[in-house]
Amino acid sequence: MAYLELSGLTKRYRDSVAVDGLSLSVERGESVALLGPSGCGKTTTLRMLAGLVEPNEGVIALDGAEITRTAAHRRNMGYVFQSYALFPHLDVARNIGFGLEERGVARAEREQRVEDALQLVRLQGLGHRRPRELSGGQQQRVALARALVIRPSVLLLDESLSNLDAKLRDAMRHEIREIQRSLAITTLFVTHDQVEALTMCDRIAVMNRGRIAQIGSATDIYERPATRFVATFVGRANMLPAERGADGRLTLWGEALPAAAPSGGEVDVFVRPQRLKLAPAGEPAGADMARVSGHVLNSVFVGDHIEVIVAGPGGQRLTVEIQSGDAPPPDGAEVAVMWRAQDTLVFPREAA
Amino acid sequence: MTRQPRLAWLLAPATLFLVLVYVWPTLGLFRIAFNEVGPTGAMIEAWSLATWRHVFADSFTFELTLNSIWLSLTSTFLALLLSYPVSLFLFRTESRFRSLLAVIAIMPMLVSSVVRVFGWLAILGDRGLINSLLQSLGVISAPVRMVYNWTGVTIGLAESIMPYMILALLAGFGRLDRTLEEAARSLGAPPWRTFLRVTLPLSLPAIALAFGLGFILSMSAYITPKLLGGGRVFVLATEIFEQATTNTNWPVAAVLAVYTLALLLGLLALSNLFSRRLQT
Ligand SMILES: Nc1ncnc2c1ncn2[C@@H]1O[C@H](COP(=O)(O)OP(=O)(O)O)[C@@H](O)[C@H]1O
Ligand SMILES: [Mg+2]
Repeated sequence: MAYLELSGLTKRYRDSVAVDGLSLSVERGESVALLGPSGCGKTTTLRMLAGLVEPNEGVIALDGAEITRTAAHRRNMGYVFQSYALFPHLDVARNIGFGLEERGVARAEREQRVEDALQLVRLQGLGHRRPRELSGGQQQRVALARALVIRPSVLLLDESLSNLDAKLRDAMRHEIREIQRSLAITTLFVTHDQVEALTMCDRIAVMNRGRIAQIGSATDIYERPATRFVATFVGRANMLPAERGADGRLTLWGEALPAAAPSGGEVDVFVRPQRLKLAPAGEPAGADMARVSGHVLNSVFVGDHIEVIVAGPGGQRLTVEIQSGDAPPPDGAEVAVMWRAQDTLVFPREAA
Repeated sequence: MTRQPRLAWLLAPATLFLVLVYVWPTLGLFRIAFNEVGPTGAMIEAWSLATWRHVFADSFTFELTLNSIWLSLTSTFLALLLSYPVSLFLFRTESRFRSLLAVIAIMPMLVSSVVRVFGWLAILGDRGLINSLLQSLGVISAPVRMVYNWTGVTIGLAESIMPYMILALLAGFGRLDRTLEEAARSLGAPPWRTFLRVTLPLSLPAIALAFGLGFILSMSAYITPKLLGGGRVFVLATEIFEQATTNTNWPVAAVLAVYTLALLLGLLALSNLFSRRLQT
């Protein structure tokens, strides 16, 4: 049994199901991201773990003991709220020391541990400031220190970086990851930002509509998405309807696709834009390569790459990413688009 | 910036109204306070301090002041104890009936104080609800005096200011954030510790606001002390009314009124100083 086990966790509200039979195992010291669009039940899951929301069904077990109905203050979870939730009437040191006071830690030890925590998040000397006298990034660190100083069983981070500007977010991302690693603290990290999930966690649980759509390493999720939803939610994607030839094999834009077709039913073909290559029209595909032809609609410079939009005979579009150093073909040019057969994924068409 | 003077015109109607019904009569009151009373009891136009000397030489004035302050403190405190939980509930509830509940809580405001006093007489009187109940249960043999004394006035006054205090508390709860209480709980604080360490400190500004309002309303309340006090409870407000109507001694009434006003402003300034300390 894993260190933290959620099984069949369900939370219903009056007219919606926020979390729908969610199961998840987290090993001790592991960092798992809950990644999903807004409203998919990430926060609710975290709140059930912290004991702030009671699940309708399901079991939460920590280190072999069930804690499903344990009161929040007895759970020893380090919760970093999205809004930080720093106590405005207490200074930074007392904010951080709050949990230690509640645990009856003697004053001398408390002060030492608060000092250590301040150091850990690089806020030495700011212990006497009020939260509102700090910048967003500093407040974020205080919230993190406050949750870490109690040596929580699990660290719960709810979209903790979403209120910071891009540059600070980058820095904090690395910092949190480093702290998490050095303390070997079991962490659940909620985010709707895939970069955060991919860079900060050992495993990623992609959530959709209250369920886990796929769980795995960043590579698993990115290279072998299990569902259509995961494929389109994580990373950039081309998703095009495939036709079936007379022999039942798949074709795209009238050309045979070297991809295994699940028998029966309509399917879509998925391939990532950066796996596509442009070639002069008429160039034959190599072995184990897929190939379609079309003409360039336009090219968009996006900084670190260029997106070339290619339209097929039916007017459907593919996005091809090329390096920004390369010159894109002129608009209207006839081109061939090629990719390795193994980069093609096929998903059953979703009922609209 | 050029818009500001034009914007100020929006205040004109209210200003005019207040000048007419409030500033002008108050100035009149000040004027009367310097008049004298002739031997026949008629008011004589004058600029004299005679009435002031008379009022402040009287130890009864001092007694009235203490009575007023004591009564206001106790009834405001009682009202606060009762309104704080109600307001906290109203502030937090996610019930669909929240607005309805809020209206019910402040409903007593809609009832005239006279009616309310008679309600209290029916409940607290010698043959009232409580005494009959206790007597029939054999808890007491003779009725307990709860009206026509300080107890009755304190209870009645507390009830009459409660709706205002509930509103003031609700308005002052701005900084109270559910997430902060959740943070406290997640850090290991049981509910009562969360209340003491987070909820209460964060609602101190609201409490100060409500207490100030309740105190002012209590100080100026006249009907409740008069009717529930049964002529045995003397405070500044009842005395002003006595002097103005029964004794028709307007200058004394005016001096007492100006004095009460000054007293309130002084106490208000004090509490303001105090609550500013709390906010930081
Ligand atoms: N207290 C609540 N009352 C009613 N519905 C809620 C409540 N909290 C969350 N929900 C609903 O549950 C769903 C999941 O919410 P949440 O867990 O906050 O999503 P996320 O954090 O992934 O954005 C949403 O549809 C939301 O509207
Ligand atoms: Mg959320």
